[in-house]
Amino acid sequence: MGHRFADHTGEVELLTEAGSEAEIFAEVARAFAELVDRGSAGRPGRRHVALRAEDRAALLVDWVNELVYLAEVDGFVPGRAEIRIDGATLDASLTGRLDAAPANLVKAATLSGLEFEEGPDGWRARLVLDV
Amino acid sequence: MSATDGATPAARALRHVDEVVWEIPASARPDMRVPARVFADAALVEAIAQDRSLEQLENVACLPGIVDAALAMPDIHQGYGFPVGGVAATAPPDGVVSPGGVGYDINCGVRLLALPLTAEELGDRREALVHEISRAVPARAGKHALELDRAELVDVLREGPRALVDRRGLGTADDVERTESGGCLAGADPSLVSERALERGRRQLGTLGSGNHFLELQRVEEVFDRRAAGRFGLAEGQATVLVHSGSRGLGHQVCTDYVRRMDAALARYGIRLPDRQLACAPLSSPEGRQYLAAMAAAANFAWANRQAMTHAIRESVARVLGRDAADGTRQVYDVAHNVAKLETHGGRELCVHRKGATRAFPAGSKDIPEAFRDVGQPVFVPGSMGTSSFVLAGEPGAMERSFGTACHGAGRRLSRTGARRRITGGELRRELEAAGIVVRCPTNKGLAEEAPFAYKDVDQVVSVIARAGLARRVARLRPLGVVKG
Repeated sequence: MGHRFADHTGEVELLTEAGSEAEIFAEVARAFAELVDRGSAGRPGRRHVALRAEDRAALLVDWVNELVYLAEVDGFVPGRAEIRIDGATLDASLTGRLDAAPANLVKAATLSGLEFEEGPDGWRARLVLDV
Repeated sequence: MSATDGATPAARALRHVDEVVWEIPASARPDMRVPARVFADAALVEAIAQDRSLEQLENVACLPGIVDAALAMPDIHQGYGFPVGGVAATAPPDGVVSPGGVGYDINCGVRLLALPLTAEELGDRREALVHEISRAVPARAGKHALELDRAELVDVLREGPRALVDRRGLGTADDVERTESGGCLAGADPSLVSERALERGRRQLGTLGSGNHFLELQRVEEVFDRRAAGRFGLAEGQATVLVHSGSRGLGHQVCTDYVRRMDAALARYGIRLPDRQLACAPLSSPEGRQYLAAMAAAANFAWANRQAMTHAIRESVARVLGRDAADGTRQVYDVAHNVAKLETHGGRELCVHRKGATRAFPAGSKDIPEAFRDVGQPVFVPGSMGTSSFVLAGEPGAMERSFGTACHGAGRRLSRTGARRRITGGELRRELEAAGIVVRCPTNKGLAEEAPFAYKDVDQVVSVIARAGLARRVARLRPLGVVKG
């Protein structure tokens, strides 16, 4: 369980495993924070995110794109996430740091090679991020 | 004859056509509509076959309405949806436009500035100039970025750099003239750019971004074509500054918005794709037309971004070398390498997607500035930090073989993690400085990821382009200093 970054010539490929769908979303947020956090203190803050997508996998792409947007506009680095998933809708409360000057490394999450499925040992997802 | 012993089916299907052209026939897969064609020599093909770029090129060959072939430049590498270095032309009305075929960084591109002095004359002021530029051109929104109100932003989206030159005095009419498409794609419609995209872009003009975006102070090391170099305003020994950046968050959001919208519309248009990131819509559809208009606005924003950085660079030159040197700093040209444009090729109006590929129109083209019309359009091919970059000129072969296109760089060979496994940023910084290259990069990690060995050999890439007749060498540039976001 957890996440790792796989080799990809041009971009960043993120592989995530977790016990539930919601934990995949939380783990992806942790991976995102790992990519962009430059250690600037900022100030404590919260953000609420509500999303509806075409399907579960597209919801994961939308989730990362929301994190990209919050990082760029609010300087938000996510910390703890409380996430509820219902089909292809998401409702999340995030605590983290605002004005934390995150790296503007991730341009977007892509649909390329996108995977998000339940296996015998839990849930797994594969995402390619444009950097 | 099989071209490679590569393990992937796409690599095994590759056939040698001539010295620098390889092809996967359309029959290789039932869903391919046209062949997939790669400009490369045998050594480059071996490197290309190591990742999934050829499979991605096959996927591009499946796009509805694609004509002739899905093309790849010699700097091709694995991307998302399209490979980087990919070119696809589609025919209206039923041919498609694919936002992923342009990429998130709409009109990522390269601008070259020529300083009115030689590197020798610059002498020991080189480090001060690199330092000053690194302070004046921030990586992200902040005190040195331009902040625009909504009306100004809309003007920039509609007009590109001309809006900054005319209304803020940030540059000259000559800068605008010496920009691909005059820095303004027709049909740009700011009303089709989302509020989110506008919010992201409002404070980002004049910012470099991160990843592989950079600024480089260079010296013209060698001139291969004196006539063309003269037209471009370049001479041996001259100091130049190269800028590589794009449309920042505004462009990223435009692509995000339209990929999402087209992904949702695929079933309605009966389009089936081998990779969801190729999401597309017919050029004649509302989604297709609106994407092109929003993409044009983002492209104009990118040209304005490089214009704002040009102004900041000139101000840096003024502080270090004096106002005359700043006023004498001329723009050679500015090229886009992530864009889709409506162009005429072989009497057909086509939508040419260039994803990590540069327009390379030859002498005689009415679409290039008058000053270059007898030598061909300048094409810039940045190498990697510590190696050469090239200035090329478009050749007639590009119109015959590649929809008027050449390569955009050396092309990655190693992943970012692969690069970091082989060298630390600290080690690379010391190596570059030992080679006389001034480095300004906030993180050692970001520096290591862009290590020269992570890229293909730019000499080899340019050699293929020249042998294929797509563009010819004009000059080689050697780095003196690098600024990374």
